[in-house]
Amino acid sequence: MKNGILKIGDQELGSRLFLGTGKFSSTQAMLDAVKASGAELVTVALRRFNREQAEDDLYGPLSELENVRLMPNTSGAMNAKEAIRAALLGRELSKSPIVKLEIHPNPHHLLPDPIETYEAAIELVKQDFLVLPYIPADPVLAKRLEDVGCAAVMPLGAAIGSGKGLSTAEMIKIIIRDSNVPVVVDAGLRSPSEAACAMEMGCDAVLVNSAIAAAENPSAMGAAFKTGVEAGRAARLAGLMPTSEVAVATSPLTSFLKQVGSDRSD
Amino acid sequence: MQKLPEWLNPEPWLNRQYTTADIERAIGAEAPTERELAALLSPAATDFLEPMARRAQAITRRHFGQTIKLYTPLYLSNFCNGGCRYCGIAADRKAKRTVLDKEHLRHEMEAIKQMHLEELVLLTGERMPEADLPYLRDCVAIAAEYIHNVNIEVFPMAQNEYRQLADAGCTGVTLYQETYDPVVYKKMHRWGDKRDYFQRLDAPERALRGGMRAVGIGVLLGLADPRFDLLCTYRHAKHLLKNYWQAGLSISFPRIQPQLGGFEPDHPVDEKMLAQFIFALRICLPEIPLVLSTREPQRVRDGMAGLGISKMSVASKTTVGGYSDDSEESTEQFSISDERNIPELCEMLRTKGLEPVFKNWDATYREPAEYVRREA
Repeated sequence: MKNGILKIGDQELGSRLFLGTGKFSSTQAMLDAVKASGAELVTVALRRFNREQAEDDLYGPLSELENVRLMPNTSGAMNAKEAIRAALLGRELSKSPIVKLEIHPNPHHLLPDPIETYEAAIELVKQDFLVLPYIPADPVLAKRLEDVGCAAVMPLGAAIGSGKGLSTAEMIKIIIRDSNVPVVVDAGLRSPSEAACAMEMGCDAVLVNSAIAAAENPSAMGAAFKTGVEAGRAARLAGLMPTSEVAVATSPLTSFLKQVGSDRSD
Repeated sequence: MQKLPEWLNPEPWLNRQYTTADIERAIGAEAPTERELAALLSPAATDFLEPMARRAQAITRRHFGQTIKLYTPLYLSNFCNGGCRYCGIAADRKAKRTVLDKEHLRHEMEAIKQMHLEELVLLTGERMPEADLPYLRDCVAIAAEYIHNVNIEVFPMAQNEYRQLADAGCTGVTLYQETYDPVVYKKMHRWGDKRDYFQRLDAPERALRGGMRAVGIGVLLGLADPRFDLLCTYRHAKHLLKNYWQAGLSISFPRIQPQLGGFEPDHPVDEKMLAQFIFALRICLPEIPLVLSTREPQRVRDGMAGLGISKMSVASKTTVGGYSDDSEESTEQFSISDERNIPELCEMLRTKGLEPVFKNWDATYREPAEYVRREA
């Protein structure tokens, strides 16, 4: 597909679909979905790194996939301090310079804390991470995070796992319009058509987890999201026809206006 | 008797009549409240088990994915001065009393570590010289050397005591109110500190203020009217969620099991009722982990995994020092029903398309939580 290379910091990615790796029925189901989706960037929670190599370890099997870069995430951190510590540990274990900065103090709805995220971002950028923060769809916060050096911003479409789609579309449009760094819709998407919508709106990528993991056939859904993202991106590049609130009037309202240099008899 | 606080009292939702339409509306409700929960717990909803199960499964899958989180309990001591009528280790039972010393605890932890388990609950009876706060603090610290997620299920304590345990590496406290019915509560708890209903009721909040990141609540099903108790459980959960919005919360569904002492419950809960109650709570609290222990028989556990239930205990021993070979014999607190080992349980889960998750936490997040809260 001629979807163009996505640059995030110094990283170049051929796929604009990022995957989360939790919630799958088995490690094999997760790996199959990653492969089918064509994703080149996947995020994995530090808390699901199992250094004892028990069978539920997500890191080991993922690190063996070819052409897939890992983005450890700080899910579980309640505040900036914990997120920074988790990011450092994640980098040490995975050798990946990329971090999905994710601070959700409420473990039930998992909505991001903008204040702690901002503070952690400043520190992690100083420590040479490529920081991709998961944030509320707040255009001001997105700019503030760009200003402190985040490599991309990842506003939520809806709450994690909710499947409510692009509930925050209007705010995301403002973020896209104003951003100098890639905008990735993260969380809330349920269907490939919503991913296509996000890409048509001008998002640079989308991050999907529950929609694929909780699908009846995760790897088929991974492939479907790949198609959705590619179609949306292609449509964006092709230039959508303009929309119009009204049909073009057959009796123009402005025909009484005279052109410059024409009859001035009145 | 002090009155139940307004935030807990379930009176307005009790003893109502529900029509088929009420139940159907409750099952499909977008933002369920006490009203929907009361309908789903009611006898009228027993004819709707199948649609409730379907909805509960869909919600569980959406919020927890195709996974079941695993944990295991470890009994530290069965010394107890408590007077709980329903308990096999109450003070007046002729129970063989044991407490794990630190060396034995290490053996137990090594055995648990061998099983790859990363979430543990340490249990004791009531506060005793043999198993007091300093003992517990040492046990938490030792356990935290071995695994990532250490929790306790012990006697209620003061906030500063919880703080000491949080500092030692404890992340969560499980404390069942047993029953929220104050009259039944007094009847069941014949003597000792546990007779104080409100001291226990407020303990989860003290634990959170002490720096715990999560609390588990529940009732012992069978003691009192389960509909009263589960409405209270829901209201208690809501109270905690609203006032400690960063705290983790889980709810368990222990049913009274046979124990030394032979207590027979006044309000027995059969399997269908248990399932109905779990579905009802899942529908009304979609994001909260719901836990089912090895108290329940294999068939019920297999059937309920993923059907509302998102977390299960495994390989449980309810005797002191049950995991390593050198353990002494002691009297169990109650009988467990599902005696499968870890590979057997995992095999069952996988057959159902559910991934058993051993590690869902990391010691890097172990610091005591600080809840910013404006005191009224």
